[in-house]
Amino acid sequence: MTSTLVVARKELLDLRRNRFMALLLGFILVAVTLSVIVGAAQFRVKLDEFHQYVAALKASGSTVTAAAPQLFPLQLLRGSIEYIELIGALFAIVVGYGMVAKEKQRATIELLFSRPVSRYSVAGGKLLALAVTWLVAVVVVFAAVIGVLLVVGRAPLQPVDAGRLLIAATVAWAYLLLWSSVAMALASTSTRLSTGLIAVLVLWLVVVLIVPQIGDTMDPDNQVPGGLFTSLQIAKPDEQAVLAHFAGYDTVRNGLEVTSVTKHYERLSFALLGIKDTFNQLPIATVARQTLTYSLSLVLASAAAVVLALVTTTRKRLLRRTS
Amino acid sequence: MSGFVATVRHEVLSARRERMPQALLVVFLGMVTISSLIGWLTHRTVTSVWQTTVAAGLTTAPDPFAQATPLSYVGNVVIYVILIGALLAIVLGVSSTLRGRRSRTTDLILSRPVDVAVHLGAKLAGMALWLGVVLAMAATLTWLSISLILRGALGAGDTARLVSFFALAWAFLLIFVVLGMLSGVHGSRETSALLLPIVAWSVITFVLPQLGTAALPVSLLNPVAAVPVQGAGFALVQQVVGPFALAEQFKTLSGTLLGTGGAGSVGTAAAALAIALAVGLLALLGTKRDHLRRDLRD
Repeated sequence: MTSTLVVARKELLDLRRNRFMALLLGFILVAVTLSVIVGAAQFRVKLDEFHQYVAALKASGSTVTAAAPQLFPLQLLRGSIEYIELIGALFAIVVGYGMVAKEKQRATIELLFSRPVSRYSVAGGKLLALAVTWLVAVVVVFAAVIGVLLVVGRAPLQPVDAGRLLIAATVAWAYLLLWSSVAMALASTSTRLSTGLIAVLVLWLVVVLIVPQIGDTMDPDNQVPGGLFTSLQIAKPDEQAVLAHFAGYDTVRNGLEVTSVTKHYERLSFALLGIKDTFNQLPIATVARQTLTYSLSLVLASAAAVVLALVTTTRKRLLRRTS
Repeated sequence: MSGFVATVRHEVLSARRERMPQALLVVFLGMVTISSLIGWLTHRTVTSVWQTTVAAGLTTAPDPFAQATPLSYVGNVVIYVILIGALLAIVLGVSSTLRGRRSRTTDLILSRPVDVAVHLGAKLAGMALWLGVVLAMAATLTWLSISLILRGALGAGDTARLVSFFALAWAFLLIFVVLGMLSGVHGSRETSALLLPIVAWSVITFVLPQLGTAALPVSLLNPVAAVPVQGAGFALVQQVVGPFALAEQFKTLSGTLLGTGGAGSVGTAAAALAIALAVGLLALLGTKRDHLRRDLRD
């Protein structure tokens, strides 16, 4: 246990001193906060348009009343969640891969294993450091996002929103830890370091970008600028009735999407934060019940990745590869 | 001149042997092959949706794909060039310059009276040639898949449009090869040399377009352009950052070449890509001999 903590402490010190790591975290912080600012500005545009519409109605002497656009602050986080799922995963890979790569490159792995460390101490220490690193990163990112929501978005956050944000942050932490663990495992198991990096980058490309992209472009509503059903001027209930005729197609499309763990993370986060309209303003317990599959799959995938990293980052494997 | 040709041949051979570009190449060609099928399936579904809504008396709007050309099936290829092709180009560029630094062959070559610009230019030419071959394969696969869907050969006009699109893709990818080479030349470590251009790519692909149009990062992966938000200074921001959003400029030009329509000015898009390539080339070919040989001092 002590050696695990020693390794973890050393890794955290390394990460704190790593300027490249600071650059990556700074970048993701800027991207997610900019995204909230853009979302807030977009809402203001909508509000201005509404005011202009109301003024025009009044000027024409109309008595028709229009519903004002409502601000649901957490919906402004959509872009931020997407940045975490796309770029956050890439950075998680960099950090996880670096945990093993630097030891192999500097040949410190031999020195490390010349000490009386137990079978899982090194892997456990590195994973602990990763868990702490992503915890700190997620706390900083979400704190910044909340700050921007309050100051720039002028969004009144309710106590229940804090709970939603806390769970969303936990989900983001599990997702990032998953990618770091996968990268660490592949860096440990590959005979050449570059092979491990290739494998994990191709995996990222397929799981994070390609599979969700295929699912997204197969969605009929995404085939026309502004949306197919908007362009056909079809109301929501009618849209659902029409789509019921294409259940088979949608099952295939959805089936493809859910093969990607990234989509599970996205759907879970969107539901928790009310970004997906069908979950907006529902109690957390209801959302949790309806998204149980995604929660379970994300937890299981993350746990499996951590276990994989734990059992592959061993003395036998690492020393065999460097000899 | 023989040195130039030798370097070009060496680059092509190395690019063929490198495992990482190979893996990305397999993914790229695989996705290009199935993209027409995805496009066709989606078009067919949208048309069926429209027919259902018309039959139910829910709309009188015309079929959104009534004017669609056969090349609209390849809309996804544009995205795969931006996603997989650009990453492949970055990896090729980084590997090319890092390979020489790691094996110290760059030091050895530059100990001879070889011009740095000619040496780096030859490396770039080698990779440009390799990318040309890859894109020719992709173009052939696309042509075949569309012809298969149409149950007949694609017409001469559409074939010319397809060829011009892949020529544009080649020029677009060269920007990322140059970016990768620059990172390989200036980077201190392999990991950072590989990842810094990937970070730059993610800024170009996701962050810059969002600032000017309020489009969400994931929606930028859709070949159909998002409707830009007007007001609140978005148009102004778009004027400033838009030309740097090279992926969006590439989408605009591709839409025009494929006849599927592009959202934006063709002139601005062409100028933005040409300037980006020219600036990258100037920076690369202007690399100092001492800088390339700095590893000797370490």
